[in-house]
Amino acid sequence: MHDPSALVWIPLLPLLGALVCGLFGPRLGRANVNLVACAAVAGAFALALLAFVSVAGGPAITWAATWFAVGRIHIGAGLLVDRLSGLLLLVVTGIGFLIHVYSTGYMADDPGHWRYFAYLNLFVGSMLILVLADNLVLLFVGWEGVGLCSYLLIGFWYDDAAKASAGRKAFVVNRIGDFGFGLAVFALLALFGTVEFRSIAAELARAAPAEMLNQGLFAGWHLSAALTLIALLFVLGVTGKSAQIPLYVWLPDAMAGPTPVSALIHAATMVTAGVYLMCRLSFLFAFAPAALTVVACIGAATAIFAAAIAFAQNDIKKVLAYSTVSQLGYMVLAVGVGAFWAAIFHLITHACFKALLFLGSGSVIHGLGGEQDMRQMGGLGRRLRHTAIAFGVATVAITGVLPISGFFSKDAILGAALGSENRFAPWLPAALYGVGLAAALGTAFYMWRLWALTFAGQPRSPAAEHAHESPASMTVPDDVLAFLSIVTLALGLPLMGHEPFLKTFLDPIFGAATNTLLTSAVAPASELGTPWALYAVAIAVAWAGYALAYWLYQGGARGVPARLAAAFPPGYRLIANKFYVDEIYQAVIVKPLWGLARTLWRLLDQGLIDLVIVRGSAWVVATISAYVLKPLQNGDVQRYAAVMAIGATALLWWVLR
Amino acid sequence: MTETVLFWLFSILAVGGAAGVVLASNPVNGAMALVGSFFALAGLYLLLSAQLLAALQILVYTGAIMVLFLFVIMLLNLSPQELGRDRLTPARAAGALAALGATGLLATTFLRLRFPPAAVSHQFGTVASVGLELFSDFTLPFEATSLLLLAAILGAVVVAKGKL
Amino acid sequence: MVAPGQYLVVAALLFGLGFLGVMVRRNALTIFMSIELMLNAANLTFLTFARHPLHGAPSDGGNAIAFFVIAVAAAEAAVGLAVVIAVFRSRGSINVDELRSLRG
Repeated sequence: MHDPSALVWIPLLPLLGALVCGLFGPRLGRANVNLVACAAVAGAFALALLAFVSVAGGPAITWAATWFAVGRIHIGAGLLVDRLSGLLLLVVTGIGFLIHVYSTGYMADDPGHWRYFAYLNLFVGSMLILVLADNLVLLFVGWEGVGLCSYLLIGFWYDDAAKASAGRKAFVVNRIGDFGFGLAVFALLALFGTVEFRSIAAELARAAPAEMLNQGLFAGWHLSAALTLIALLFVLGVTGKSAQIPLYVWLPDAMAGPTPVSALIHAATMVTAGVYLMCRLSFLFAFAPAALTVVACIGAATAIFAAAIAFAQNDIKKVLAYSTVSQLGYMVLAVGVGAFWAAIFHLITHACFKALLFLGSGSVIHGLGGEQDMRQMGGLGRRLRHTAIAFGVATVAITGVLPISGFFSKDAILGAALGSENRFAPWLPAALYGVGLAAALGTAFYMWRLWALTFAGQPRSPAAEHAHESPASMTVPDDVLAFLSIVTLALGLPLMGHEPFLKTFLDPIFGAATNTLLTSAVAPASELGTPWALYAVAIAVAWAGYALAYWLYQGGARGVPARLAAAFPPGYRLIANKFYVDEIYQAVIVKPLWGLARTLWRLLDQGLIDLVIVRGSAWVVATISAYVLKPLQNGDVQRYAAVMAIGATALLWWVLR
Repeated sequence: MTETVLFWLFSILAVGGAAGVVLASNPVNGAMALVGSFFALAGLYLLLSAQLLAALQILVYTGAIMVLFLFVIMLLNLSPQELGRDRLTPARAAGALAALGATGLLATTFLRLRFPPAAVSHQFGTVASVGLELFSDFTLPFEATSLLLLAAILGAVVVAKGKL
Repeated sequence: MVAPGQYLVVAALLFGLGFLGVMVRRNALTIFMSIELMLNAANLTFLTFARHPLHGAPSDGGNAIAFFVIAVAAAEAAVGLAVVIAVFRSRGSINVDELRSLRG
């Protein structure tokens, strides 16, 4: 790449595509809209590839621009491609392209076809801005942009009130996270006067964690304390965007959108933005080991919690949604133990196989004419052969029964968790490993349950009996993703004796953070590779989950789940209703807020403004006019004269005094 | 000495006449009181060496204006019932208070003034002297006044005539 | 020896009585006469200051102004009385209480 300004075209092409599809969509016709949208993303992918190749072998590419400058604050609009953002670029544009192609088939009959592609292109453009930004404010622009597109696409079929409100829920919950993000940016600006990643990294490289700040907003604080606060505020944003506890509740509802949307946004790209943010700010988090501990706990807790909920879900997309939440928990856990590279590794592999899982489920739903309840499926392995094979590869990848991509990325995380040290709570690494392993067992179980209910056995409904395979536009992307799901394991090689390839590759990015952490309260794992024992345990756990699922849903104990559910109704209902988290939020947070809003409305809006200010001012004017001004003009000349006389006398007094 | 006596005489007549105007219920009585007041004022003017003005006061004010007043009063020929009684409304009370206030203000201000002694020549206030003043410094107002009088005549004719 | 201030007090009294008459009386003609009274009070004041100025020498300027006041008063009286006649002809009354068409 010789001209850094060419970077601008990477987000610009999809944005222009969105503009064209949005403005001229109906007139262009379906074929042209497909072409424009897919070409835009393909072009972005080509440029991203060029950029990646350049930075893989050489220095990072930067392109600087100013957005605005006010006083001493200077906010740029520059772009940065280094190894980290280069990888993300490939993921976003590559998988984005595949999903665009898939969508041409999936959305072929939808009346809002052009609108869908406009939004999808807009999403890709925003995500690229997020990845390419060289400062936090521009990143936030992309952050908000993807949030907006998520809202637009979840509520795509807006005439259905439930779907529209799911979109709204996503946006509102994300807003809470964005609040944390915003505060963190302000604090950072107050602390360092800049929001550019490189500038902040440079400042931190010169600083010591225990140093005392003696001016500005954080006067009297230790640097590490201030950065811990900032980091925790960022974490609030991450829990919103990356669907962790406590703000994950929007993701399952987001399944109301079209399935390719779930694949792209809620599996591969948008939800990973939180993980990307934390990795981008690794040098900052390295100064806040307490925050990292919190992050690790959130990640592990989310992983197991979501996995448990997935056990009892009957909607195929809901299972995958909770699976996504759970897998994101793994990535967050990786960040929390200082293994940033492992988080990125899992991000990449997860993007591939989760997108494939969603696309596959889309094919299933498409083939069944819209049915999403797994209890109505069955026996689709024979009828949707192509889809079933691809789906099978993805399931193997996520559960880790065979050593392909997902196995290595998940074990990199688990190994990093076990090998790390935490001086706040020395038992924590082991606990995190245990929880992670339990979640892995759960993952294997619910994924093979999904497979058994969907593809194995006998069809349980007429729709399943007459299911048909999807067109090529939908199966070819599946194949590509399946291929990728297998080969991305290479990033985790070699296994023993040397550092994994990806770790070395990303060392220039995360090296500073890792070094800082090694001497702090949270020390990342420093062994080279993961010991064989851990791999053995992981495989055993995966097979255990598979075996349990097979036994309960395909094998001898086929009626047991139903009998268990009947035997422990409260337990079953608890899980099936997602531990009533939504209901708790509704009662504890939403209802009081509504009540407050209603009270304020009655008090301030109706009472103060409408009554006192608007009608009151009118009343005052009317009363003054009626009782003061009107009598002055009753035609009585002497009254007029009296008024004049009083005025004249007053004037006289004023002049003569 | 003479001056003081004459001053007090004329003053009392003037103020008494003024009171008569304000208090009389019949306008004719009020007009006559006003005539008396004007005569007294003419006397005061003489005490102030304003000979021309004194003469004009009698000639024009009492001789023309008050005669006009009396003509109109006789023309209207109001009977006692039509004249009625005056009521004291809030507006009138406020106006009366304002009047009293203004008067008090003026009186107190005037009493506080200090005058240097001033002597005048015999020519002060004579026809020739005032005439000189009129035709030199006050030429423009003089000419304008003639136009004013013309306008007044025409106006009066138009307004009062009804049908031309 | 009469102090000039005394003349002025007389003028003030005349003015006040005229003012009172305008404010309080109901008959339009009485009001008119009160106005003439006020004008005369002003004349007296002018002449007093012409004869006994506060600064400088006595000048005939004050007399000239009083001259104009009389002329204007004459014009005003003529027109005003014409109006009173016209009003009496159309309304039948010259009580200001009953002349309320300026209302509103």
